[in-house]
Amino acid sequence: MRFWARRLSFYAIAAWAAITANFALPRLMPGGPLNAVLNRFEGQLSPEALDALSAEFGISPHQSLWEQYVTYLGNLVHGNLGTSFTYFPTPVSTVMGQSLPWTVCLLSVATLLAWLVGTALGVTAGWRRGTKFDVILPAGAFLRAIPHFWVGLLLVTVFAVTLGWLPASGGYSPDLTPGLDPAFLSSAISHAILPAAAIVIGSLAAHMLNMRNLMVTTLAEDYVVVAEAKGLRPRRVMYNYAARNAMLPAIASFALELGLVVSGSLLVEKVFSFPGIGFVLFQAIHNQDYPLLQGILLVTTFAVLVANLGADLAFFVLDPRTREA
Amino acid sequence: MRQLRGAVAGTRPDMPRSTGRSRLPQAWLTAPKVGAGIGLLGIFVLLALLGPVIAPYDPSATGGEALAPPSLLHLFGTTATGEDVFSQVLTGARLSLEVGLVAALFGELLAVIVGVTSGYLGGLADEGLSAVNNVFLVIPVLPLQIVLVEYLGAQSWVVLALVIAATAWPHGARRLRAQTLSIRRRDYIQAARAMGEPNWRIIGFEIVPNLLAIVATGFLFQVTFAIVVQASLAFLGLGDPRQWSWGTILYWAGNNNAFLLGAWWWYVPPGLCLAFLGMGLALVNLGIDEVINPRLRGAGQVKDRLPAPATGPSAGPEPDKDAVLAIRGLRVEYATPHGSLQAVRGVDLTLRRGQVLGIAGESGSGKSTLAYAVTRLLKAPGRVVEGQVLYRPRDEGSQWVDLLKLPPEELRRFRWERLSMVFQAAMNSLNPVLTVSAQLIDTLATHRPGMTPAARVERAGELLDLVGIDRSRLSAYPHQLSGGQRQRVMIAMALALDPEVMIMDEPTTALDVVVQREILSRLVRLRQQLGITMVFITHDLSLLAEIADTIAVMYAGKVVEYGPARSVTRSPSHPYTAALLASFPSLHGRRRDLQGIRGVPPDLRALPGGCAFHPRCPEAVAACAERIPLLTALGASRQVACLMREPSAVAKLSSQQRAPLHAASAGGAEA
Repeated sequence: MRFWARRLSFYAIAAWAAITANFALPRLMPGGPLNAVLNRFEGQLSPEALDALSAEFGISPHQSLWEQYVTYLGNLVHGNLGTSFTYFPTPVSTVMGQSLPWTVCLLSVATLLAWLVGTALGVTAGWRRGTKFDVILPAGAFLRAIPHFWVGLLLVTVFAVTLGWLPASGGYSPDLTPGLDPAFLSSAISHAILPAAAIVIGSLAAHMLNMRNLMVTTLAEDYVVVAEAKGLRPRRVMYNYAARNAMLPAIASFALELGLVVSGSLLVEKVFSFPGIGFVLFQAIHNQDYPLLQGILLVTTFAVLVANLGADLAFFVLDPRTREA
Repeated sequence: MRQLRGAVAGTRPDMPRSTGRSRLPQAWLTAPKVGAGIGLLGIFVLLALLGPVIAPYDPSATGGEALAPPSLLHLFGTTATGEDVFSQVLTGARLSLEVGLVAALFGELLAVIVGVTSGYLGGLADEGLSAVNNVFLVIPVLPLQIVLVEYLGAQSWVVLALVIAATAWPHGARRLRAQTLSIRRRDYIQAARAMGEPNWRIIGFEIVPNLLAIVATGFLFQVTFAIVVQASLAFLGLGDPRQWSWGTILYWAGNNNAFLLGAWWWYVPPGLCLAFLGMGLALVNLGIDEVINPRLRGAGQVKDRLPAPATGPSAGPEPDKDAVLAIRGLRVEYATPHGSLQAVRGVDLTLRRGQVLGIAGESGSGKSTLAYAVTRLLKAPGRVVEGQVLYRPRDEGSQWVDLLKLPPEELRRFRWERLSMVFQAAMNSLNPVLTVSAQLIDTLATHRPGMTPAARVERAGELLDLVGIDRSRLSAYPHQLSGGQRQRVMIAMALALDPEVMIMDEPTTALDVVVQREILSRLVRLRQQLGITMVFITHDLSLLAEIADTIAVMYAGKVVEYGPARSVTRSPSHPYTAALLASFPSLHGRRRDLQGIRGVPPDLRALPGGCAFHPRCPEAVAACAERIPLLTALGASRQVACLMREPSAVAKLSSQQRAPLHAASAGGAEA
């Protein structure tokens, strides 16, 4: 299982690097941002709260860097990411705990959908290269450059404001209390349709163009020519021979682009005031809420790592060569 | 994770390589995609330069009519405070482009440094740098950028650009590393390193120039990325909201809920600018991609187009009764940007039932193109321009059909059922993600829908028995087989439907000698056992002496000699046949000195006049440069196309025309 040994050791390194960077960033920054923060809150917080804050941040003049690091790791193990300024005195982990499920649901569905639709279009476009289908090249180039959040703005204007078909903002109707009852779920779904559509439209083109090029490259492979020479039906050649192989690098690059996809989607949440991480991020920026910002960075990184693991699993299932010892 | 299959051009068939590297960019620049892209970019660069100057209003001047829709006075309408959106868009172009360019410049520089160092050094340094690179790839860029901008307090756009650069490099670095790795393995780099050339020279003069296209796409991609990121960060309110950029306009529009007020003119123009600028960059990039990856280029047609209707000389009398396949006056061209190139120039060949016809020639002789044309597997830019490929099934009372005119569905049924093919590249002929049995069975399932699944499995086992592979290998994937085993599986596959004709296109070329031997004796045995009719294509004439009944020798797209295998290989008549025979060791038989054929295979773009072989021919006389020799009978069963073998023609030559062309080497081919 060399494949898994390699991948898992990479995840371990990546996780450690993200955690350590999160520790190092505020300490490396010029002028000591912590002081800036403390100054900013001077007069607004009681001295006790300020003391608690600096303790939470893990910065104290009496500790060596190494001791600070150990304290920080210890806090992390207990799920302690510090205290949010914005929602003071709510711990960052609690804020994240409330918003993360919204983002995970929205993003996983929308991203998967975007990938599936984009890949399907790319397969067809690659197969029909040289025909009218090639208009997807300029069209895709156009679509790819549009920021996700701008698509969101357009969708709100058309479908929420003008047509009034779907709600313009929020995650659910304010007169409902979150729970697993049908009324709440249907409200949540209707609120998620537009943000999801913005993410799908914004991410689709990249997957489509990528898959088209991979298809064209794969179609020139000998085994595809052999499949055609064997007199197999075109659909079979297209799916079992060409697309099935072109899919493998497509999954690899999908995994690599997840970091970008997540970034684009966080902004969509802001447009829709969707109660996920993106919206919290926006609040955190406005309040210069460093602990919350860093918590978001750490948690989103871990989310991408988990998604990568999923991509590896797909790769493992689809490519027999990874199953070798 | 497996490396992405790279931009390697296919090796089949004798597809002409582009000769002049310098020609490409020219053809590339004239491509409509790239032209449109450059046009779009030009407009935006002009906007960035002139925008702030030509803006009709001060972009920050308030006090006009609030939220006025577009009018002649305000082309893009006004904001909630009465600012002119059109002026803001014009003014904002500069900052958006500045951030994009500066960020991309530094980001790409970082990508080149990391990617090239990592790929060039290899070993531990590579492992370390790659790990850093991959870690950066999984960190979501936006939260990272936000954290950095917040800590750095980026009010200046240069700091912002640098933050973007610091997070934008990993994708480019990854691609550059892979490419550097493959360039580093090339012979001339290895040689330079062995000769002690300093690393900085090798990197600066050998590696980086070869990476330029990839660096260029990486740069353009980063420009798009940086501009979108700048817009995103500005939209979130990071940076100075009083400095106009497209993102700043969107920030104010968002802050004032323009999208809830229906003030589309406020936020649509900046978004469209982002999209069109990105489109321009991407179009240029698509063009560069086609330069990097030749497979994407000239991907003109996919579908097997019907060739031009056979006209003129090819409509001859019916072929012999015992013939199964007859090629008549076949001409194949490759369309290139500089005119068409004739790969097959009028070939007539007849294959008799039960016979093995050998086709020999160097690469570029048109032998593989011929096979691809006959099976209609020729891909654009290749095209059959003239000729017929007549085929008659063994069934009683059947008619001759022209394969080149078969409609797609009939062609599909015909394929493999009647004519199967074994390809040169044993390593790539099998689908890497399907098992051997799946690939044998899908052929049976498609052509023999009546067969039960159990019978198909049994047949697949039988086929492996035929080629001497253990049945347990049915469940193996291609990568678990050796090269020789894969080619035997391919042969088994070709036998699956009892085809009437098998075309073997250099089936043993890619294999080592011992395995070659094994495959050949297997083929000889199968032939005796099953009485297969076969076309065997190779550049090794001595091999044909063993396996073929009849041999056709091809040069520059024409048959130059034809006759019974034994007679042709024992006493070659055409000087090219003789040279070809002398250039290969016989698999067994007496030892002899090997002699290469002097000169290089002809450039099909610029064929010499007269006999195409005359520049390399030891016997050539002045007349050979003028007259095109025709394939003429030599005795009862042989044909040759050589002026010097036509006694009557030679007799008529003047002494001037008889003067040897290559006096210095008249004694024979050079060693």
